[in-house]
Amino acid sequence: MRLICWMRRPQITGRILAAGLVFAALAGTGAPARAQHLLVPMDDAQSNHLKAYGVTFGALTDGIRSEWLLNYRGGAFLLPDMPSLRRAAALAGVAFEPVDGAALATIRKEITDGNMDAVALEKAPRIAVYTPPDAPPWDDAVTLALNYAGIEYKKIWDDDVLDTDLSQFDWIHLHHEDFTGQQNKLFLGFRDAPWFIQARDRDIATARKHDLSDIPSLKKAVADRLRSFVERGGFLFAMCGATETLELAVGARSVDIAGPFSDGTPMDPDADNKMDWTRTFAMQGAHLEFAAGVNSMSDIDGHQVNVPSRRQPLGTFSLFGFSAKFDPVATMLVQDHRNVIGDYYGVTTSFMRKVLKPGVTVLAHEEGAPWVKYVHGTYGQGSWTYLGGHDPEDPQHNIGAPPTDLALHPNSPGYRLILNNVLFPAAKKKPLKT
Amino acid sequence: MIRRRLLLAVALAAAVPLTAQEPAGPLVSKALEAETAGRNRDAIAAWRAALAAGAVVPGVLGLERVFSILAQEDSMIALFDSIIPRHPKEWQLRSAQLRTLATVGLDTRAARAFTEWRDLTPADVTPYREYARVLLFNGRAAQADTVIRMAADALGTTRALVLEVAQMRAALGLWKESAEAWRDMMAGEPYYEQATVFSLGPAPAAARDGIREALSREPASFGALQSLSLLELGWNAPRNGWTVLSKMSPSDTVVAIWKQFADEAERQRAWTTARDAFTAIHAARPDGEIALRGAQAALKAGDAPAALLLARSASPLLPEPRRVLDVLPIELEALARLGRATEAEAVLASAKPAIGEDGVRAQARTIAWAWIRAGDVGKARAALAGAPLAAEDAVAGWLALFDGDLATARTALRNTEVPGQDVISALSLLGRTRLTRSEPIGQAFLALARGDSTNASKRFEAAAVDVSEGASLLLTIAARIETARRSEERALMLWRRVAEEHKASSEAPEAQLEWARALRRRGDVKGAREHLETLIIDYPGSALLPQARRELDALRGAV
Repeated sequence: MRLICWMRRPQITGRILAAGLVFAALAGTGAPARAQHLLVPMDDAQSNHLKAYGVTFGALTDGIRSEWLLNYRGGAFLLPDMPSLRRAAALAGVAFEPVDGAALATIRKEITDGNMDAVALEKAPRIAVYTPPDAPPWDDAVTLALNYAGIEYKKIWDDDVLDTDLSQFDWIHLHHEDFTGQQNKLFLGFRDAPWFIQARDRDIATARKHDLSDIPSLKKAVADRLRSFVERGGFLFAMCGATETLELAVGARSVDIAGPFSDGTPMDPDADNKMDWTRTFAMQGAHLEFAAGVNSMSDIDGHQVNVPSRRQPLGTFSLFGFSAKFDPVATMLVQDHRNVIGDYYGVTTSFMRKVLKPGVTVLAHEEGAPWVKYVHGTYGQGSWTYLGGHDPEDPQHNIGAPPTDLALHPNSPGYRLILNNVLFPAAKKKPLKT
Repeated sequence: MIRRRLLLAVALAAAVPLTAQEPAGPLVSKALEAETAGRNRDAIAAWRAALAAGAVVPGVLGLERVFSILAQEDSMIALFDSIIPRHPKEWQLRSAQLRTLATVGLDTRAARAFTEWRDLTPADVTPYREYARVLLFNGRAAQADTVIRMAADALGTTRALVLEVAQMRAALGLWKESAEAWRDMMAGEPYYEQATVFSLGPAPAAARDGIREALSREPASFGALQSLSLLELGWNAPRNGWTVLSKMSPSDTVVAIWKQFADEAERQRAWTTARDAFTAIHAARPDGEIALRGAQAALKAGDAPAALLLARSASPLLPEPRRVLDVLPIELEALARLGRATEAEAVLASAKPAIGEDGVRAQARTIAWAWIRAGDVGKARAALAGAPLAAEDAVAGWLALFDGDLATARTALRNTEVPGQDVISALSLLGRTRLTRSEPIGQAFLALARGDSTNASKRFEAAAVDVSEGASLLLTIAARIETARRSEERALMLWRRVAEEHKASSEAPEAQLEWARALRRRGDVKGAREHLETLIIDYPGSALLPQARRELDALRGAV
């Protein structure tokens, strides 16, 4: 049986055919001929984009170095041609194309000539997801994506953040936790619900264990530890309400910004002026929401989904194109086979431009809207990324809605943004050229 | 000063009637008209005018509705402040005030308004009930619980608050306790069964046994039992639902409850349960229509004897045209499935004067099937003589196949209008072999048509020896039969044969998948994974790959 040598083909159908023939080769009785590399395309030729990250991550976990070909065929991965990787890709339904030396030279030439770059991926990042111990896997889009892609991670919660050395992790993810300690103001509608009472009691017990007076104090302490983690070189990725509330909690170190229902005391009436925005990652000059009856934390979020009179409709957001050779980090974070993606709500859906610090890199925005969707920046020796919204494949995401089944969305461009963040800490550090 | 105000309020209360008097009537009509037309601004002005003219309660409730539509409930607060002192004991105004205050989030004021009302009428349960309802509506179950406890302390009983107690407990996830409250409620007022079902329906599976015990414990009211039966239907356990009701002694009320349950079971396509319910109703109160529906349910449940019995008992209770139009086809179908071909022919012959020659021809296929079930292919063929051609073609194909005449079957079966799994299997096999005759294959399909699955499976397996080009498919058909019969050992043996002896066949991926599933059912996760991986790696073009990947993900807990 003959293997097709990989060649850059202009037609997608040709690529699919090539991938199909590779699979067919695997079914043969004889050992397939070995190419030198396997190209995992990430454009429309890819049958399962999300699991492609898992295959690459698995290779890194096994000590196999890979390359991320930025802006080349949707951000393709280049892996060494090994039977174990062929098998892993086939089992996961990930399309790949064998590449021999001549074809690889052609690819590298194309990359050199265009707005593309090849970034070495050296080591699988050590991942932690900040999530309550009893949270179901579908409560958090990142947990869903990691599970589906087969990427290993460790769950951490308040005790772990406060008591352990976070430098054991390269990457920490936060989702819709409310770091202001107001439990997303769900007190208004769910104060009698058993799950709400259970979560409140659990957090109060943790606060007392650490000699803290209430939940807002506990969450502020946790937020500050996370700030230090980034400052010392960690990568932090946050989505949904964790983005906005982490900023507020870090900035409110010495001011009471929690409503009386959470700590028994009213918010400091001068809290807006007492916020210390020099400590925060991304935001400055935001205004806090003082009304306990309004389910919003501040004016950071552009969509305000939980305040009917302020709620903005969902549109689409566009990913920015960056120079792969000069801005490799930003380029990595926006690798996708779609540049325009449907928006989706979350406790915090978007970030108003007017409150972004000048040094923040906007990765995605909504054309003509006063808000942006996806931002990134550095802080101390580390970096952070914020992505608004809760679940890219569940735009409305109501409490109690059925969980997303990623097997039905293997090519989700929104979930790719999450997985870009997972893989990006594996990249070999290059000095920024801009 | 206060005394003067009180006097003024009393005087006003005496002067202003609570409901619309003659002069206010047209104003109320005008307000209602504007409200119905969605002219909210006009409606507000009109309701205010009606209110001023003396229609106090309609006016306030009207304004409450319109302001609610406009999301301006806070506009009602000042109105309540001025009007309630004039009508302090009017419960509808008090209730509306509580609703408004709770809606706009003025919880403290709502609590104060409740206290004021309660203190005004200390022996009255209404303030407690209305406030508890408002709290429940706003998801404040724990606070509603507090109010109900206060009522119990003050009044000595919560008898008049049973409904609120039940709702409150369900909202708090206290399912068994809620069921107990609903049970108490329905002991006096059985018409709350729908409210009970609505309230307890969302209970998780783990909490349902407690609900079952609470609602069925002796002595249980009709309402409690009916609620439980409908809950069981909603929980996809229709058999449990009928078990609850079937123990009841028939009376007019019980039969009415059975009828409602049977209708619902039929709507949910719970055919065996519907059959049993209709049978019981018919036994208690003979009714041709009910018996006929029971017969139809029995046929759909695959219970031909019951269908025959019910159809025959329906017949004398229905008018002549219905007997021919509705009962006869069911009776013939039941007889055919039972293989009672002679009897089916006799029934058809006796109906011939009523249905005519065309009607007899229309049933030829059923009669043919009756003979096939009886094992007499010759008479089946004879039954089709003179039958409409469109029906004859596919049936003739089957008859040819049963005879082992593969050449005729190959052509005729292609004309089957609605191909089922049996046709697909037959056509796949006929397309796989060039044989023109094969008695073993014919006998195997005939055994399958007769419903003799054990014999059919063995014959298909045996035929695989003679028909080598279709061996993998014949073994697969046998394995599918054994899988459907839950004959795990024999099914696994057959799937293994397909997977190992016919690796290159198109059935091999299915065999690998089924092999994996059989191992998974036995708890052998490692073995199941190996076979799923074999399927994915060795058969990359198989249409079963997405399913295999999904099951592989499920095994490692990724989905």
